Amino acid sequence: MAMEKSEFTIGQEFTGKPKKVSWERLWTFSGGPFNNNEWPKKNLHTDVEAANNVGLERVAASGTQYQGYLIELLIEIFGEKWLSYGSMKIKFPAIVADGDSILSKVKVIAKEGNGNTVKHFLEVWCENQAGEKVLVGTAIA
Amino acid sequence: MVQKRSAHLMQVGEELEPLELFVTPELNQQYLYAEEDFHPRYITGENGNEAWVHPGLLLNMSNYTRSPSFYLDPEYGSLHAGEETEFINPARVGKKVTITWKIAKTYLKRGRFYQEVDIHLVDEDGVPIMRRNLICTYTSVNIIRSVG
Repeated sequence: MAMEKSEFTIGQEFTGKPKKVSWERLWTFSGGPFNNNEWPKKNLHTDVEAANNVGLERVAASGTQYQGYLIELLIEIFGEKWLSYGSMKIKFPAIVADGDSILSKVKVIAKEGNGNTVKHFLEVWCENQAGEKVLVGTAIA
Repeated sequence: MVQKRSAHLMQVGEELEPLELFVTPELNQQYLYAEEDFHPRYITGENGNEAWVHPGLLLNMSNYTRSPSFYLDPEYGSLHAGEETEFINPARVGKKVTITWKIAKTYLKRGRFYQEVDIHLVDEDGVPIMRRNLICTYTSVNIIRSVG
């Protein structure tokens, strides 16, 4: 359950559940709807040959797949109302490959206002099993 | 004006064909599995609300590659470099969401070509769901391009 917003302190960090980007979940996310005849649709997220053809050594997970992991963590921290006012500005500095394990992290870097009107400025990122950042940015809650 | 030509050639102001996305419980559950997120708010709904569409589904289905008019020359791949996202309202399962795309900016940075795409998601009742400014780039074995 989300905490009261006034309870957060600057410097406080949160970590999401580890998520493994398995082949099954890559295909399910990026292969198109299950009821398409050609599922899973071949693209650089689902097919090694398609990835190789555009110069990638391996398939690359869609950034929106692990952006979704980060959103899950933000909702866990700030509550589902975050989906009605939250925002984020992010970049994907490295590729996530099949089999990678991803952790989402959030750090409170500043606060404005008081009580339930407080606005939090956050550093957000996702990192892989090697600690390499694959998503970096900021968010507001 | 809606045009169908390779996305990497599209210029500022050009639009892709909008997508009308009807989110069924089955499609939503497909994304819940992909995201390993089975919160009841996305399945049965909570607090008197209908089930919500998982945000991962909305993000993935609003990538510009999902436009019916999206086309990319076969030797190119599109990479999602970053974005700004505003969450305005949750989307409801069982409602239609209309997604529109417009090229907002093109530029070269460190020898690589980038496009920014403004994306709007609005449900069938006119409720705004999400706004995105998507930054994309292209990968190819032979990218040679200047900003038009």
